[in-house]
Amino acid sequence: MTPRVVVTGAGVCSPLGAGVEEFANALWSGKSAIVPSTRFPGSTIAEFGEFNPTPWLGNKGVRVLDRGTRFLCVAAQIALSSTCLVQDAASEGDADLGLVCGTLFGGVHSIAMFDWSGLMEGPSMVSPMEFPNTVINAPAGQAAIKHKLRGVNSTICAGLASGLHAIQYAADFLRFGRARYLMAGGMEEVCDEAALGFRKLGIASPTGQAHPFGADRDGTVAGEGSALWMLETEETARGRGIKPWFEICGFGTATDARPEGAAAAIEQALQETGVGPGEIGCIVAGANGSPADAIEARALRCVFGERLARIPASAPKAAIGETMGASGAFSAITAGLALQRQEAPPTAGFAATDSGLQLSSKSQPFEGEYALIDAFSCEGNNAALVIRLWKN
Amino acid sequence: MRRVVITGIGVISPVGTGRDTFWSALLAGKSGIGPVTAFDSTNYAAHIGAEVRDFDPAHYVKKQQPAHMGRASQLAIGAARLAIQDSGLDLRSVESRRIGVSMGTTSGEPLFVEHYNDARKQSGDDAVDPEWMGLYPCHVIPTHVANEFGLHGPSIMIPTACAAGNYAIGYAHDLIRTGRADAMLAGGADAFSRIPYMGFARLGAIAPERCQPFDKNRKGMVPGEGSGMLVLEPLDSATARGAKIYAEVLGYGVSCDAHHMTAAHPQADGAIRAMSAAMKDSGVGIGDIDYISAHGTGTPTNDRIESLAVRTLFAEYAPKVPMSSIKSMLGHTMGAASAIEAAACALALDTGWIPPTINHEEADPDCGLDVVPNRSRQTHPKIVLNNAYAFGGNNASLCLGRYE
Repeated sequence: MTPRVVVTGAGVCSPLGAGVEEFANALWSGKSAIVPSTRFPGSTIAEFGEFNPTPWLGNKGVRVLDRGTRFLCVAAQIALSSTCLVQDAASEGDADLGLVCGTLFGGVHSIAMFDWSGLMEGPSMVSPMEFPNTVINAPAGQAAIKHKLRGVNSTICAGLASGLHAIQYAADFLRFGRARYLMAGGMEEVCDEAALGFRKLGIASPTGQAHPFGADRDGTVAGEGSALWMLETEETARGRGIKPWFEICGFGTATDARPEGAAAAIEQALQETGVGPGEIGCIVAGANGSPADAIEARALRCVFGERLARIPASAPKAAIGETMGASGAFSAITAGLALQRQEAPPTAGFAATDSGLQLSSKSQPFEGEYALIDAFSCEGNNAALVIRLWKN
Repeated sequence: MRRVVITGIGVISPVGTGRDTFWSALLAGKSGIGPVTAFDSTNYAAHIGAEVRDFDPAHYVKKQQPAHMGRASQLAIGAARLAIQDSGLDLRSVESRRIGVSMGTTSGEPLFVEHYNDARKQSGDDAVDPEWMGLYPCHVIPTHVANEFGLHGPSIMIPTACAAGNYAIGYAHDLIRTGRADAMLAGGADAFSRIPYMGFARLGAIAPERCQPFDKNRKGMVPGEGSGMLVLEPLDSATARGAKIYAEVLGYGVSCDAHHMTAAHPQADGAIRAMSAAMKDSGVGIGDIDYISAHGTGTPTNDRIESLAVRTLFAEYAPKVPMSSIKSMLGHTMGAASAIEAAACALALDTGWIPPTINHEEADPDCGLDVVPNRSRQTHPKIVLNNAYAFGGNNASLCLGRYE
């Protein structure tokens, strides 16, 4: 029989709150991390201003880590301590402990800065210390060194669905017995290049707000941070006396920019779980305030029909912005917290929608064991995940 | 679980395009290395590269506009088209949601970062074309491949740098063996870029004239570009349609050094664990391995540590296993490298010949293995191991077997 994969810990490094409780409390109180940017004047961004990782990471070896990698290392530190897997500094680290990190831009800023210094000062003047940060897997590789993670180390890029793909990838690796413990989720930083892209490609909301599924939506707001789950098999968790939080039940994906693509991913996830739409207690959606939210709404209506209006739903990007490659992981963390509390969190600033979803600016109680997370992008990278409160 | 086989091979490489050209060049020991033409290398500490010089994107990119995608996407679509043609698979015969794309890369589409900086240097931020931001993130490469061929299944990029091709082929094989997909295009792509070139040159890692893996006087690696794509199918459907089967994907293993971003672990810890994991996943032992396709970049450290890994793991059996590096001919095609090397492994299993390590003059006693010096050899291998190591300490070994 295929081993069951469970969630036994989590780490969050978000401008909304660093730490799972901090993040949850802010999200449930309806707060938003979207602020006028101190780094990019004239833009609103869900950002940390100056981010100081030393409370979590100390001072040693932090200087070489770029911004996004610091978020990732902090989230990993929190996740490891949440489930008693912090590696002794004097040890060589665990060869069965690893990390699967989703991202969209990765360390593009480090890459652009490296190239820029070669362009301005000459190719022989670039810093050999900066070169390692120019590979897309640098954040995950740096986190492995920092936290002594000698097991599976992968970086996963699938657009806005990267975080969910990373969770699924890790779950499959655990099922195959290729690792005992895997942190999985995503990381993203808002850098010059991402901010410029959001502004110039017309993704950024001209009014500086993110209203997912909102009738008044006009674009989104970039966000940053890192979110990770700790995954292991139920057997491993039982063996070390850890009570699982959730089970990873089903996953679906489709590469298709039409609403049928998003719907197919959701249907696949339900089918793999072995439940019908009626058993989903809560939905955490990927909508970010862009016009394309309509496509996701159509996909959800197509799968859930009239029932959609009665399932409490939440769109956390209203509070944390579009965290891109990390967004699926933030949604997954949110869905897990919602199951624990039996309450879907508020969608910050929500007023009205024509989407057919049951959204609210207040938290919404529900009864149910299963939550659906979906990630969608208009390029066609769709993914969906179903999780369940742990039950023997 | 389903068995997974390779039924199509597409390669666009510095030694030539297409399965036959590629394979005959390798067996003949032909080098694809020459002076850098992609940019002016005058101010660089090195001047040679392994570029693809005969590539016309319009010849391969039919459904989309080649001008609106990066070179890595173009190369990937090219190699994918060749692989599909080679496989004879009628894509319409498989449900589109059951075919996907799994790829690896080191730099993604770095030319857009170059354009971005060139424009900023010239005229400031306002000169930046916004399209570049949308075309840079590396997941667009498999998405472009999926769109070109109308594939609606799982599409994923695993950018684990110079080991990425093995990660991608391994994962595609997982998706098929667990029944999540009924066919996958899997491989890697990278475009020649001044960014990695500058870095390797600054580290003093680039050879001045040629690539000599495992030679006592080796002087470094040679950055390159290209794409290797494979068609993977379940064994049952491949045999049902009477497809040519090059090789079976038996399994793979990955590990992380967690030691240093660029330098290999001094005791080859991660490299040894990746090979062991691959053999365990495949259900084979060290005595079963008939050939190793080395990572073999040609840098003094890489080749010494990789040899140490093989000697440690294979013990007294190590000198009996031929291990060659086709990077001696192809240069280091980065994220495409292990995918192209997997293609070579499949062809070795299919044809019975193993490609040489060229430019080999004096064996390095620190390596001490049979590196198939200078001449290809007919050995009829049955089971082969494909090694790949990367920045970030990411290691991956892929195990392929002859299908009989």
